[in-house]
Amino acid sequence: MSRESRHLSRRAFLHGTGVSLALPFLECMEAGAANRQRPKRLCAVYFPYGIVDRQLGTEASEWNWFPAGSGSDFRFNRSMESLERHRSELTVLGGLSHPHGRVMGGHDTADTWLTGALMKEGHLENTVSMDQVAAARWSGQTRFPSLVLSTDGGVGEPTRSSTLSFSRTGQPVAADNNPRVVFNRLFGVDPRSIRAQRRSLEASRSMLDLVLDDSKHLRTRLGTADRSKLDEYLQSVRQIEERVQRSQRWLDVPKPSVDATGLNLDADDTTPAELVKTMYDLIYLAFRTDSTRVATYQLGNMNGATSIAGKFPQLLGLSDNMHSLAHGARKGDDGAEPLGLWDRFLTEQFAYFLGRLKDTPEGDGTLLDSVLVLYGSSNSQTHVNLNYPLVLAGGQGMGLRHGRYLRFGESTPMSNLFVTMLERMDIQNDGFADSTGPLAELLA
Amino acid sequence: MSRIGMGRLACTPVLTALCASLCGHVATAASDAALVSGIIGAHCVACHGPSTQTAGVRLDNLPVDFGDDRRAAETWHDVRNALNSGRMPPRDASNLSADDRTVLLDWLDLALADSEEVSESAGTVMRRLNRVEYQNTMRDLLGLDIDYVKNLPADEASRDGFTNNGAALRMSALLVEHYLRAARDGLGRAIITGPAPPVFTHRAEETVVDKVKTVNWSNRLGRTGTFAARVPEFPDEGEFVLRIRARAEGPSGAPHPRMHVSVGYRADTQTPSRTVAEVDVPDGPARVFEFRARIEEFPLQSRTQSKYPGLLVWVRNAYTDGQPPPPPEKVPFEENGKLKDKLVWSEDPDFPKVIVESLEFRAPVYASWPPAHHKRLVPVLPNSADEEERAVRESLRRFLRRAYRRPVRDEDVSRSLRFFSEVRPTVGTFEEALREVLSMALISPDFLYRIEDAAIGAPLDDDQLASRLSYFLWSTMPDERLMDLADRGLLSEPAALRKEAGRMLDDPRSWAFVERFSDEWLDLGGVHRIAINPNYYPGFDALLKEDMRRETQHFFAEVLREDDSAMSFLRSDFAVLNQSMAAHYGVPGPRGGDFQRVKLHDARRPGGLLTHASVLLSNSTGEDSHPVERGVWIRRALLGDPPAPPPPAVPNLETGDPDFALLPVKRQLEAHQDNAACARCHQGIDPWGIALEEFDAVGLRRERITRRSGERVATHPVDARTALPDGSEVEGVDALAQHLVDKRGRQFAKALASKLASYAMGRSLVPADEESMNEIVGRFEESGYRLRELCTIIVTSELFRSR
Repeated sequence: MSRESRHLSRRAFLHGTGVSLALPFLECMEAGAANRQRPKRLCAVYFPYGIVDRQLGTEASEWNWFPAGSGSDFRFNRSMESLERHRSELTVLGGLSHPHGRVMGGHDTADTWLTGALMKEGHLENTVSMDQVAAARWSGQTRFPSLVLSTDGGVGEPTRSSTLSFSRTGQPVAADNNPRVVFNRLFGVDPRSIRAQRRSLEASRSMLDLVLDDSKHLRTRLGTADRSKLDEYLQSVRQIEERVQRSQRWLDVPKPSVDATGLNLDADDTTPAELVKTMYDLIYLAFRTDSTRVATYQLGNMNGATSIAGKFPQLLGLSDNMHSLAHGARKGDDGAEPLGLWDRFLTEQFAYFLGRLKDTPEGDGTLLDSVLVLYGSSNSQTHVNLNYPLVLAGGQGMGLRHGRYLRFGESTPMSNLFVTMLERMDIQNDGFADSTGPLAELLA
Repeated sequence: MSRIGMGRLACTPVLTALCASLCGHVATAASDAALVSGIIGAHCVACHGPSTQTAGVRLDNLPVDFGDDRRAAETWHDVRNALNSGRMPPRDASNLSADDRTVLLDWLDLALADSEEVSESAGTVMRRLNRVEYQNTMRDLLGLDIDYVKNLPADEASRDGFTNNGAALRMSALLVEHYLRAARDGLGRAIITGPAPPVFTHRAEETVVDKVKTVNWSNRLGRTGTFAARVPEFPDEGEFVLRIRARAEGPSGAPHPRMHVSVGYRADTQTPSRTVAEVDVPDGPARVFEFRARIEEFPLQSRTQSKYPGLLVWVRNAYTDGQPPPPPEKVPFEENGKLKDKLVWSEDPDFPKVIVESLEFRAPVYASWPPAHHKRLVPVLPNSADEEERAVRESLRRFLRRAYRRPVRDEDVSRSLRFFSEVRPTVGTFEEALREVLSMALISPDFLYRIEDAAIGAPLDDDQLASRLSYFLWSTMPDERLMDLADRGLLSEPAALRKEAGRMLDDPRSWAFVERFSDEWLDLGGVHRIAINPNYYPGFDALLKEDMRRETQHFFAEVLREDDSAMSFLRSDFAVLNQSMAAHYGVPGPRGGDFQRVKLHDARRPGGLLTHASVLLSNSTGEDSHPVERGVWIRRALLGDPPAPPPPAVPNLETGDPDFALLPVKRQLEAHQDNAACARCHQGIDPWGIALEEFDAVGLRRERITRRSGERVATHPVDARTALPDGSEVEGVDALAQHLVDKRGRQFAKALASKLASYAMGRSLVPADEESMNEIVGRFEESGYRLRELCTIIVTSELFRSR
């Protein structure tokens, strides 16, 4: 349903590439509402299998993902050079990991990157992810509580989930993976009249009600295993119902008009560079238009057997798939460069995203000031659930002191980082997962 | 997870013997337990015993027979990780011998795997329709062949790779939202309103010559050439028919050219055309090729766009011999006194060409109005408001029987009627309300799931059997005959099941079974996960990957159709090839894109799965063979004995030596085997793959192996000699295939039967199925391992006929 183009002439629009007009938030700024109304936003981006993590002094260490030096006196190595332009807007974090992740399988930790849960030995229940804590807190303020993206899409299977986000009860939040679908969800215009749309939403609601009601009768006829399957279904239907209610509330607020020009909405898994860029563009546009304030993006999971993203490096002309590059990086000096080139590609895409946020003025600063971006992985080297490579960027308006490379010991759980991130976004909390306190080192 | 026959079920004598032969020295779990306790007592209890519990771990009283005791299992799991990584026991505290360590680890692997299975429940769990099943079911239910799943994410696979496993398949809001949209969309088209739409026709004999000068617009399609027709007027939806009159031209005996037909293009979004079909054009006089599809499935030009008006239909020649097309020549010509250039493409007389003589387009096409799919969904059209309820009832009575795949209950109808009365006042027409009511059925669990609400182990009723059969062999809902047999209670007799299975296997719809089962059993999707490095294989055409996958599917179909012995999968004297695959392998084969049985004569490349390019490529690095992956594949797919996944924190094979990368793989793997921690698993994996070292990453035979490290290159002669885990020496694929047939035939038969049973029932096998599986394998063996017979044996088995 790509109807966006048919409505362009009648409406002012925001180009995919950057020009903007007629945004609800900007209007309210022009009307004199001050900077205090600038929303805070959160974005988390994950890549699998880790990075080049080598001892200093070897030839391969020029491909080290972690910078040389420390504190404010650090230097990016080759794979991270493209972040130099954002040096003062980010902090590189070393040494952090989730204590629970340390005892989990080498490829099992993508699921818990944002949750800190313990998933092993048949106990595969997850807990809430920090992004969904923020989404729940801000629910109702934007049309969409969160934008959940991944390369594989859907929910995947426990320990190989294809989403970073988990609800309050630890259920995976299904990720979208098709740029066109995401675009239409965010900005697509329904050609029907408001009245017809309202009728259709009402019909959907009573339909969902009846289906829920009837399924309760079905439930009594089922055994335990079937019941848990049916509960998963019921939960999904309830979520749709909530979504329908939300749509009803937002029906009278027009969607921001965004022109798809400059966006490659046909990008798919055969064109990785285009796909990753487009996903970042969509997150940017969602924040820019205040359609949502929370976004997560899983670039790939660690399901070596079926992961769609596994072949991306080869499609970009690198020598091997993701998993093998990561393994190769542990062997000899020759292995560092191939993985380093892949690290560099990912960093460049990330730097592009930060650049778009930074080049967009908002209030008396830039959009980047009000977006807290966490970027990284839950493996340092492949299979090693320690020393996560992490970058915390943006959010200068939230009292963070950037421009440093900080290292932490194993006694600091990564959840402490989440405590501080949530605090900075004005989300009071009594800790997160296994946190022991805030990460005070980050503050100005 | 089909662990049956994997050597993990240490409780049966047959398997214990098998396991012993696989692993050399593993005894039964029971005798091991005593041995294990002894080793732990000697090496661990000093620090993890009654007096001290370092790190809070106590092992002397931890049960060795822990069943589904999760706490004990977790501690044992930690013990396994500590042993695997070498963290425990500390070097200064104990001198655990390599043998004792192996005994401990082998026992832990077995016991932990068993414990996982105990905690898995038996019986088929209610199972969401997967992508393929949903697509086919919607198509058959609505009578409309459109794409219902284009934006759905991939399905979750079970541990043994099947995407129809109820326990693995999950539901999410994303899916429900999609199902609702697809239902409304499909019903919006299947239930029509209004009079018959006007029919548009168009005929073209010459290609359009567009402004784009870099395309060779022509009716003669060789190495270059594009035929395009511009249809000025066309409907927005409905079925269209294309009739293309074309012939082949080329030297006699040359391969058939292949006509590729596609429709549509959107200039504003630059959405490319979508393929309608691709067919061989055989020799002889021109003939008419007819294609049908739904027009709304194609990217249609916006009607207000004036730059490229009309609907574009494209014809190209998809045949390729791997040579790049020659560049065009610039030919000067004079126009209005000015000298200009035009591009001219030379024609290769030896290249098989498609000559397009004419193209006809017609849309929408329908045999009657309203169309048949409408009449089935709306059997009674009310003439007044009073008649509407009766009309809805009649529609529901027929629709719900098919949608829910079971007899309709009163409450099904009353709920739908309640919804109808709510919706009807808010919409303009009866049809609109009916679409909503039927949409509701299409998001209800009775439609989206296959529910078998009998007790575990109880016999299934006739309707449930009809569904099992049709989703097993057709990946779709039962047809009218099956529903009719179920209604009359005639399906539960083994004779009836046998007869129906035969009918269904003979039906073209069984291709869904061939395609999906062979794909998932053999992991053929792997061809698309591995990117071939063009520096190593210049000229490799990525389109060939799909032919590779098709080759294996057609091989499976051939064995099934001819009721050949399943041993053909291990070794056969035939292959099933098309022109492209025969050319790839360099063997004589059929002309054209269709697959045919070909007799093989070269013992260095016997028939059977081991020499299929799909298998060899999927288990390669894209540059070279990957003997470890190939070994794992043989253990998993053919022997039903997948090796344990690599433990966390596997020790590094770190050498820091750039010369290492130049060594032949076999030598590199020997380094694995020098390291005790690696050797324990790899000696059971690597040899299987080494025997296939004669084949490179794209599945071709090779004499030499090239290794690269940075700028350096080394070549080595192929060395495919290896000692298999049971001590047998083999060299190369022929000996390996023979070994599998002679020594592992029954193990393979059990692995295949287990996979097939697991697929047929949509669940993993559990230890409780062992006895039933032995019976199935016994009957399979008696039949001479005939594949088609195996399908029947499974369908008539207790296992299949009960929950």
